[in-house]
Amino acid sequence: MMETSIFWLRVATCLYGLGLLHSMLAIVRRNVKLYPVALGSFRVAVVLHGVALVEASMAYGRLPLDTSFATLNVGAFLIALVFLIVEWRYHFASPAVALFPLVFLMTLVASLEQPVAAWPNIGVRDAWLVVHIVLVLAGFAALLLTAVASIFYLMQERRLKQKRTGTLLEKLPPLATLDNLISVSMGLGFVLLTLGVIFAIVWAWVEFQTRWLSYASVQFSLFTWFLCLVMIFLRTTAGWRGRKAAVMALAVLGCAALTWVAQVGLRPALER
Amino acid sequence: MKLLLTGLNHRTAPVEVRERLAFEERVLPEALDNLKKRPGVLEGMILSTCNRVEITITTDEHVDAENAVEHFLAESRAVERNWVSPYLYKHDGPDAVRHLFRVASSLDSMIVGEPQILGQLKTAYARAKECGAISGFLELVLTRAFNVAKRVRSETDIGQSAVSVSYAAVELAKEIFGSLSGKRVLVAGAGKMAISAARHLRRSGVSEILVTNRTRERAVAMAQEFQGTVLDYEMFSKTLPDVDIVLASSGAPHYIVTREQMRGVMSRRRNRPMFLIDIAVPRNIEPAVNELESVFLYDIDDLDKVVQTNIKGRIDVATEAEEIIREEVERMMMRLKTREVTPTIISLQEQLAALASAEIDRQRGRLGALTPQQEEAVQAIARGIVNKIAHGPITELRKQASDPGGAHLVGVIRRLFRLGEGQG
Repeated sequence: MMETSIFWLRVATCLYGLGLLHSMLAIVRRNVKLYPVALGSFRVAVVLHGVALVEASMAYGRLPLDTSFATLNVGAFLIALVFLIVEWRYHFASPAVALFPLVFLMTLVASLEQPVAAWPNIGVRDAWLVVHIVLVLAGFAALLLTAVASIFYLMQERRLKQKRTGTLLEKLPPLATLDNLISVSMGLGFVLLTLGVIFAIVWAWVEFQTRWLSYASVQFSLFTWFLCLVMIFLRTTAGWRGRKAAVMALAVLGCAALTWVAQVGLRPALER
Repeated sequence: MKLLLTGLNHRTAPVEVRERLAFEERVLPEALDNLKKRPGVLEGMILSTCNRVEITITTDEHVDAENAVEHFLAESRAVERNWVSPYLYKHDGPDAVRHLFRVASSLDSMIVGEPQILGQLKTAYARAKECGAISGFLELVLTRAFNVAKRVRSETDIGQSAVSVSYAAVELAKEIFGSLSGKRVLVAGAGKMAISAARHLRRSGVSEILVTNRTRERAVAMAQEFQGTVLDYEMFSKTLPDVDIVLASSGAPHYIVTREQMRGVMSRRRNRPMFLIDIAVPRNIEPAVNELESVFLYDIDDLDKVVQTNIKGRIDVATEAEEIIREEVERMMMRLKTREVTPTIISLQEQLAALASAEIDRQRGRLGALTPQQEEAVQAIARGIVNKIAHGPITELRKQASDPGGAHLVGVIRRLFRLGEGQG
């Protein structure tokens, strides 16, 4: 019964993945054509997710909530369900851009409760790790660009507000150009980080079985990703610009730097 | 050859004098023809704008052309010579070249760096050329002046900043939005400055201009000026979230845009930046609006401050431009001097070649019949001797062309080698 539950959960994760793809396209290319397909897929995924939970509950004799994986599983299902109700009742679809990736990632983690034995070979393991590191570093670089552009935006905005002329700051690009740069680099950073996190989760799943979710550095990495998601959400829905956006971008960059430090600290342990 | 420039401008003459002496476009061909007929005048050009009237001529060295130009100006504009004289400035030689370069580069303009003067100078040059009043010398100086103006514009920031209130508003809009294409503008009121700013905005590519006014007829008239769309005055507040730039110049005695109102507008716009230009007195937009995020409010004083700073900036940049002018005048004078000795060099070479040829012909009887090889050898010997004799004087002429003693040397060489009159 438990195996069937995991199977349906993994199918649901794949269907949620379409939602993630929609979010990525919406963030980076402002293309929302995939939304109807993603929403349909999301609805089916919620049903299968529910089936998986029912089967797991039947296997346990109650709703399983005693591990982090199980909690994430239930949490993701409830978020997805609430979103569908709100979307159906109020036609409020804009949170999808943040909720689709969130639900996907939570379900992905939850679906990895049953570990696999080992890597098929060491080459795949190393290549997987390299791809993860490259994606994350590229994501950090994009976030750094976001932070720098946000600071420039702040400086240019302040100059225009204070009506100062004849200063060196006049050489800065127009606000719209900086704003566009922030949007593009932030979106790209988010996509790269998301892919990096997915690669990391799968790598850790094989490497550390189920223990990895309890590592503080991993939790902090997920928190950084979540913060990045919040930043994207606030920017796309609430139109955060200027000071708020700059502070947020700097906070995300700070967390990303701390994540890097934490992972570098973890490396000797990984090597052992 | 002498270059002489006589004229007056906004600094030396009041507008009453300038308008009296200005040449209308239609009288220019006749005036140029008349100018060229003056004794000693070889070439001429008349530059007539609202801020200056300048006559540039070239003459032979020995001609006193200063009086000729003054006479011409007084006669052609039907004024007393004594009346016009106090307002005139006169430049000759390097000073005239320098003045032309400064005028072309807009360093002598009322608003330093304004671009129109170069176009006006080019038009004056084209008119003079059409009338056959410009040939070699003046053409060389003027085409160089156009290049110098281009150099000054590309190497300095002299024309970069806005120096009018309406243009400053457009420049600020570009600093906020980058390109203005696709942007929507709402104009409230129908003041002259609003029309000017709206026209600048239209030229800069804004996609739509909405015009609203309490008196609908005025809004309609104004909208026609720049293909705008008339908006009912009652719709003003409702339309605010959909526009990017607001140009307020209504005669309302109270604020027509308040902070609270804009807070709601910005929320509906999801904080997309908005540029508010308030050129009304009393002001139409509550100043506290500028405190809101992503809202940029500039009133008439703010825009004027921008303009004043830009004008000051242009004057500072003018120092760099003056250095370019100094360098270019030196280079130009060198070219002109070299050009002056060229006829003497050609005469000298021709004279010596003729002497050699005559001498060979004289000795041909003694030499008897020559084979082609021998003939060629004799010609080569003659050419070699001529070149060696000419080398020293030619080198000296070129070297001293730009020195004050250059003219003396030209005279000496012409006498020594008996170079004919009228050959340069």
